[in-house]
Amino acid sequence: MSKNIFRISPGFEDIMPDEYKELVESGPYGKDLGVSDMGTFKELLEEHPLCAGCGLALSLRLILASLPNPEDTVIVGSTGCSALAFPQVAVHNIHSLFGNQNAVASGLKRALKLRFPDKVKDVVVIAGDGATADIGLDMVMQSWFRSESITTIMLDNEAYANTGGQESGMTQQGAVMNMAPKGKNFPKISLPEIAREAGCSYVASISPAQPKRLEKMVRRAILTAREVGPSYVQIFSPCPTNYKFKPQETVSRIKQHQKEGHYQTKEYINTAAQEYLASIEEGKKNE
Amino acid sequence: MYVAARVDNDKCSGCKVCIFTCPDPNVIKLNKEAKIVAINEARCKGCGLCVVACPKKALNVSS
Ligand SMILES: Cc1ncc(C[n+]2csc(CCOP(=O)(O)OP(=O)(O)O)c2C)c(N)n1
Ligand code: SF4
Repeated sequence: MSKNIFRISPGFEDIMPDEYKELVESGPYGKDLGVSDMGTFKELLEEHPLCAGCGLALSLRLILASLPNPEDTVIVGSTGCSALAFPQVAVHNIHSLFGNQNAVASGLKRALKLRFPDKVKDVVVIAGDGATADIGLDMVMQSWFRSESITTIMLDNEAYANTGGQESGMTQQGAVMNMAPKGKNFPKISLPEIAREAGCSYVASISPAQPKRLEKMVRRAILTAREVGPSYVQIFSPCPTNYKFKPQETVSRIKQHQKEGHYQTKEYINTAAQEYLASIEEGKKNE
Repeated sequence: MYVAARVDNDKCSGCKVCIFTCPDPNVIKLNKEAKIVAINEARCKGCGLCVVACPKKALNVSS
């Protein structure tokens, strides 16, 4: 089944850029694509403005390729570097006020449930660490307490990158940044643990250095949010520009952090989510 | 100086690891018949992540 949700308005076919025409022709809708199909379909328009070697851009591409149901997904973003790429995404998306993303997503999910009671509609928040763990933490945690059926994905570059490099709650203790010249005084917030305590049924922490695992976790998180309860995925996505390392070192930096124990791949699934995921994953195997 | 990535066709095995590692879409594409990748040099930002990821050392960003 193919769904053409992106169409060019009649009469504008000639003047639209080729990249956009391609997006309409080879978008991800209704094709059951995944990370291993990357390069054969378009999840994003070319020439997005994120820096060379940006970990967020890498994570964003992988997330977009992992969506189980892109045609019926709405992404809610927040101000920050990742938001710069959202106008180029081939999935419906909303840009919310900085920090408000989980409140907007909660309302949207409820409205979609009322408007389309028989349809699966996924609402996925994708925002930076400042928007998720600092300024938006209130909205994020309240959405988990209320058990809203949404997935929250944090692109953790351990900084407020878009505003020139302030420390965030997710910055490692001692890290010196452009606008934190004395080094950060406090340890990194353990948001996966907070998410678990606040009522998330599925919690994972991962990086783009493990694309297949990332795909599995994003899918599991979205499926859990559909049927069981809120889910949270934290993706470690280093920023070469603010942390001043070479763009080609993004992935090696992730591996180094993992080795040193600053970042770990983790997954927590509560019993209800485990049962649900086991039933669909088993069903897939038998197909 | 800005330099786009280049592929050594003799070394590339078409494994697609570089495609999963590129932060930009449609810069690296797989030529299915030849089983090698091709780089769109006009769009490559030259970050070099693919160079580090390539298991066959088939890519480089130095001139
Ligand atoms: C309400 C509001 N407060 C502050 C800002 C300024 N602002 C824009 S981007 C940004 C930092 C975003 O940081 P983060 O969420 O970590 O995302 P990153 O840029 O690192 O990806 C801030 C503070 C804003 N746009 N709106
Ligand atoms: S400043 Fe950092 S996080 Fe923002 S686009 Fe550039 S590399 Fe990515």
